[in-house]
Amino acid sequence: MGSTITEKILARVSGLPSVKAGDEVMAKPDFVLAYDFPGYTDVIFKQMKNDFGIDKVAEPERFGIFIDHMVPAISPAEEELHKGTREWTTINDVKLYERRGIGHQVSSEVGYATPGAFVVHFDGHVSQLGTFGTLAMGLRRNVLEAFALERVSIRVPQTTRVDLVGKLPPGVMARDVFHHLVRVLGPASCRFQVLEIGGPAVADMSNDALQTITGLAMFTGAVTAIVNPDARRLDYALPRARKKLEPVYSDDDAVYAARHEIDLSRLEPIVVIPPSPANTRDLKDYLGLPIHTGYLGSCASGRIEDMRAAAQVLAGRKVADGFALHVVPTSQEIMVAAAKEGLIEVFAAAGAFVSSPSCDYCFGRIATMAPGQRAVSTGTLNVRGRMGSPDSEIYLCNAAVLAASAVEGKLADPRPYLLG
Amino acid sequence: MTMKNLRGRVAFKFDEIDFDVDQIVGVKNIKTTNMDELSKAAMQEYDPGFASAVRPGDLLVGNHNFGYGHPHYPPMKAMRHMGIAGVLAESFSPGYWRGEISMGFPQVSCPGILAFVERWDEIEVDWAAQCVRNLTQGTSIAFEPLPRADLEMLEAGGLETYLKKRFLNEPT
Repeated sequence: MGSTITEKILARVSGLPSVKAGDEVMAKPDFVLAYDFPGYTDVIFKQMKNDFGIDKVAEPERFGIFIDHMVPAISPAEEELHKGTREWTTINDVKLYERRGIGHQVSSEVGYATPGAFVVHFDGHVSQLGTFGTLAMGLRRNVLEAFALERVSIRVPQTTRVDLVGKLPPGVMARDVFHHLVRVLGPASCRFQVLEIGGPAVADMSNDALQTITGLAMFTGAVTAIVNPDARRLDYALPRARKKLEPVYSDDDAVYAARHEIDLSRLEPIVVIPPSPANTRDLKDYLGLPIHTGYLGSCASGRIEDMRAAAQVLAGRKVADGFALHVVPTSQEIMVAAAKEGLIEVFAAAGAFVSSPSCDYCFGRIATMAPGQRAVSTGTLNVRGRMGSPDSEIYLCNAAVLAASAVEGKLADPRPYLLG
Repeated sequence: MTMKNLRGRVAFKFDEIDFDVDQIVGVKNIKTTNMDELSKAAMQEYDPGFASAVRPGDLLVGNHNFGYGHPHYPPMKAMRHMGIAGVLAESFSPGYWRGEISMGFPQVSCPGILAFVERWDEIEVDWAAQCVRNLTQGTSIAFEPLPRADLEMLEAGGLETYLKKRFLNEPT
């Protein structure tokens, strides 16, 4: 009986020859990541010192801290938090990535997405490192376990395997694939499991697309998502890898809790209607709905592929009168690439507000909506109050749909723009 | 197993699948830190008389994938403030589960629980026997065993105490 990639990674970090789903193990994460956030890092840093007497972490190279929320700070208290984070990383000799972009993306850029590695964070969207064969989990408050102790207690998860076949039609993107998956499998389909993405279509998919899909895994109930890293993934990840590890792969006879196949060629653009990420609907049923603002960005969808799709729609066009479009590349590296390709010029010329990378648009800290307003968003989430007033609404969609909706001031199909 | 059995009434049944716990206090109150205020806001949409009806030790019952969405801690902090001692559901969303177990707040995954109880039934969670007893109706139903680490965390009363205990035995 074979093993899944997840079982192989967890066996190695638990110091065991093999583990099976259901086993309870003590696993030593290769990397422990976090972004500074009140109630998380400030509390953890204090607890480490006061409750555990840890003045300095034992293996600083295992830790990575990001400043990506509250960037730029809008109050002295926020800047104080960042100051505390800078002090902690200096004292602990831990790498700090400030203003480089959203940490989950920067993690890949700087090599924490080491194929075969086990990574923990408090935030579940770190699952996107799974694109590169990295097992990356969000532990919420329990990440303290990884800061204060060497090992974390974990029950080896079962795996649901989804095989992607066929080719995506124009105007349909990775966002549509993921939300289609939530629709057909269900928002509880992968509870406490790993979502393993495979199948022949993966080879033709960009890292960007797979990061989108794996980064949203939590909305299927999964604890993370992972891809068996092919040549395209390894070409990106291995030269940057922060640790020498042999990539591992699921065996052909690995045991899965369930197996599904999705034919990409049959997908259409979707929208996820408020107030739940479980509400996948066909875009065609919502065309014409008035929209006031748009957010193109986030750790899920603000990469160069998303920027290109939006720019293709926006080139030579203007954002509708009264529509507030915010374009926020996920990282500085992506922003530079977008500038070189002339995409930033397209956005600015169309009337978009183009911002340096920040997490703050995704949760309404800036570009905040008033009651009654409605957004299209490529952000992670559409729950009530996520981008401002509890009485505002968020429709999640892909970057092309977002751009077409910005042009029309209402939910719009991007395909006429892309084909014409 | 040294954990004391939970015993109380079913203070509320959340029928909704994929229930977003933030709805308990309403998103507009999610940043309220004053527990009395938060408790006053809690359950207004569901049962305005909830706070006055609840007794210490009472329990909540939920449907499948309880805690889905983007769960915050204040709703269940308010519930504990009002005396709620635990949640039993058909199944849980992992992020919510992890968060509440880390607070030392008992969560019990019990397929069939929704049909097994009526509101205000007296029930008991027997940790050793791994079953829920409906003391009002005289029936019993098994619940899913918790991972060892989760049980240890509940026994310790939460993440911090659990880790401190481990820290003494396995220093980094």
